[in-house]
Amino acid sequence: MTDTYDLSTDIVDRIAGLSPGSPTHATRHKRDKVAAATQRSYEALFDSALLDLSLTERLLVALYACTLSNAPALAEHYAERLASSNADRAVIDQIVEGPLNESDIQEPRLRAMLSFTRTLIESPIDGDKTALERLPAAGISTPAVVALAQLIAFLSYQIRLTAGLRALQVLNATELA
Amino acid sequence: MSRVIEAHGFTNRVLGWHAWLDVVQLADASCEQIAVLEESHPKAKESDYYLFLVHQPEILRQRSAAFNAIMYAPGGLPRAERELASTVVSRINGCVYCASVHAQRFEQLAKRDDVIEQVFNNPATAGASPREKAIVQASIDLTLAPGQVEPAQLRALREVGLSDDEILDLIHSVAIFAWANRLMLNLGEPVG
Repeated sequence: MTDTYDLSTDIVDRIAGLSPGSPTHATRHKRDKVAAATQRSYEALFDSALLDLSLTERLLVALYACTLSNAPALAEHYAERLASSNADRAVIDQIVEGPLNESDIQEPRLRAMLSFTRTLIESPIDGDKTALERLPAAGISTPAVVALAQLIAFLSYQIRLTAGLRALQVLNATELA
Repeated sequence: MSRVIEAHGFTNRVLGWHAWLDVVQLADASCEQIAVLEESHPKAKESDYYLFLVHQPEILRQRSAAFNAIMYAPGGLPRAERELASTVVSRINGCVYCASVHAQRFEQLAKRDDVIEQVFNNPATAGASPREKAIVQASIDLTLAPGQVEPAQLRALREVGLSDDEILDLIHSVAIFAWANRLMLNLGEPVG
C-alpha cells in the first residue's frame, strides 16, 4: 500500500473516460479526498497480500458483479486482470456468457461466494442471516467474509460512480461540441 | 421538533444494529484496529458494525475516508441534500437502519421532515420542490439501473439549478449508499 495517490493510475478516471484537462476530470478532482480514498479502497480490496481470500477469487467476484450490473467497461477491466491469473477459464466463460447458474460451479467455496455476490448485487434486501452463514459453512473465515462483503459493496459503489461520471463527461462533451 | 414517522417498515426513530457473526473484541484489537476505529466514527468502539468491519482494518480505513469525505466535506451540494439522497437510496434498497439514521440527519440539518415522510411513503413522487424531486429521481435511477444512466438524466438536475460540483456530490452520495446499505443489510440487522 502506497501513501501517495498517483493520478495517472486512477482506475475510475480510466473507466469513466475522464482525461486530465477535461471539465469533468477537473470537477471530480476538486473532491480529491474522495478520489484518493476510492483508489486506495480498490488497491486494498485487490491487494495480493490480503489473506483468506485469493486474488483470483476476488477478481471472479468482481467480474460477476459487473456482468450482473451491466457495467461492460468495468467487467472488461476485471476480465483483463483475470487473464493473467490462474483462474479456471471455464468459470470465466460461464460468468461472461451467463446467465450463470451458481450450482454449476464445482468448487463449494467459490459457489458460496458467487451466490452471495448475486444476492448483494441484485437484491440486497433478500440477504439474511442464513445466507451469510453459508459462507463460514463453506470454510470462509470471518475476516474473509468481511473482505468479501466489503468487496461486493465497493463494486456496487464503483459501478454507480463510473456510470454517473461517464454520463456527466458525455453531457459536458456534447455541450462543448 | 422530531416527530416520529413510521411507514412501510421504515422509521426515523433511533435504532441499534447487531452483527450476525463474531465481532472483534476491543481487548483483542491490534493498535492498527484501534486507530482505524478512532478515525472512522466517534462511537465506533461501541458499534457492532465497526467492530465487525475492523476485521479488515485497511479496507475499513479507506471506506471511512471515502464516506466521511463524501458526507461531511464543505461546499458543493448542501449537506441536507446529501442526506436526502442517502435516505432515498436506503429506502429503495430496503435498508431500514440507514434510512433511520439519515432521515434524522436530514431533519437536523434542514429543520423539516415533510420530504422524509414522502420518501418513506412513496419515493417515486417525493420532493417538496422541483429541485428536490429531481434529486430524488436521480437517486432512484442511479440506484436501480446504473447500467442505463444517460446524460439526459443529469441534464434534468442542471435544469433545476445543480452545478457540476453539486451533481458530483450527488453521484458520490448515491454511490456510497450502494456500498453502505449492502453491508448493513447483509451482515446483521437493526434492533430496537
